[in-house]
Amino acid sequence: MENVTIEKLYKEKKDFLELTLLTAEEGLKKKILNNEIHRPGLALSGYTDRFAHERTQVIGETELSFLQSLDQNKRKQLLENVFRFEIPCVIISKNLYPPSELLEIANRNHIPVFHSRLSTAELTNRLSLYLDNIFAPHMTIHGTLVDVYGMGLLYTGKSGIGKSECALDLVERGHRLVADDMVNIIRKTPEIVIGTGNELLGHLMEIRGVGIIDIEKLFGIRAIRIQKRIEVEVRLVLWEDDLEYERLGIEDKYTRILGVEIPVVTIPISPGKNITVISEVIAMNHMLKVYGQEPAKEFSRRLINEISRKKRVSDYLESDLE
Amino acid sequence: MIEKKIQVVNRLGLHARPAAMVVQKASRFKSEIRLVKDEFEVNAKSIMSVMMLAAEKGSFIIIKAWGEDESVAVEEIAKLFEGKFGEE
Repeated sequence: MENVTIEKLYKEKKDFLELTLLTAEEGLKKKILNNEIHRPGLALSGYTDRFAHERTQVIGETELSFLQSLDQNKRKQLLENVFRFEIPCVIISKNLYPPSELLEIANRNHIPVFHSRLSTAELTNRLSLYLDNIFAPHMTIHGTLVDVYGMGLLYTGKSGIGKSECALDLVERGHRLVADDMVNIIRKTPEIVIGTGNELLGHLMEIRGVGIIDIEKLFGIRAIRIQKRIEVEVRLVLWEDDLEYERLGIEDKYTRILGVEIPVVTIPISPGKNITVISEVIAMNHMLKVYGQEPAKEFSRRLINEISRKKRVSDYLESDLE
Repeated sequence: MIEKKIQVVNRLGLHARPAAMVVQKASRFKSEIRLVKDEFEVNAKSIMSVMMLAAEKGSFIIIKAWGEDESVAVEEIAKLFEGKFGEE
């Protein structure tokens, strides 16, 4: 996990969150430790037993008008009570300014205080987006991610097996490349993993024998995509005669990526096999399943019905003594 | 060539899952392997053909094989049927 300092938050999201720093800069060295946001209303009123001080604190109109309703001594006392805790930062929303005592006490404790022009709801919303993204579990996978008919297919397999060539073929047929070789993956929700490419590599690709090519320059903007949910993993393996491959597709096989269950399809490669068309079929077949249709299972049921019908007829004829 | 007549003994008959087991087993052998039921004779290495037989419980199937490993092939495939494909 990278270190998320207040300075990073301020630099990257100053405009997005419409922030202005109200305290001294030295407070910016502080770190944000998790993605949660806290409204310190109860703590400001004096109850600090379960004060979630390690979270980013957002103070809105309610808290401020409460503070303003107190006499100066009481206000100071309550603020001291809150700011003695280790707080990463305080953001005041709705274009409001805090009482001078708050800034003074915050400065003394090296706690940065910001002012935002956004409403409290909008601020917490945008702040959550940013923090959730930063603190989401992530990893890097050696593979290739392509958007095929809107389905994110993640190709994995040994180096040189033909992941890039397969992606190139798909791009040629109008599908979109997300990332080649290295895919950065983050878990957005407990069910969704999103893959993106490396910023530096962009949509470059290495094709053995040709070298490095730029997909965006060669095929245009329609051939690329910045990020895509990963929906199916396609494992490319070399064909081996004594290995058994899926014949029916009745039972789905799954793998886990960052704890999220992802269907996995293993495709044996042999000369003359067109992985591109198979890829399109994998994408469309997955779409059918998402929409609630499973052709393999439906056929299996039909076959069982047909077999039992034949059994009933033969039983009837057998017991027929006429 | 050798052949062996066996009976389908599992309750649901030769449905999709057992058919896949037969095909996967058959594909491991070099011999040419056929399944014969009534007037149909199909390639035991082809899943669609084997499923097409729709062989019900009590029906008879002849397993035919020719090639270097024909006898093992027939025995192994017959064993799958006898073992009810791990079903009831």
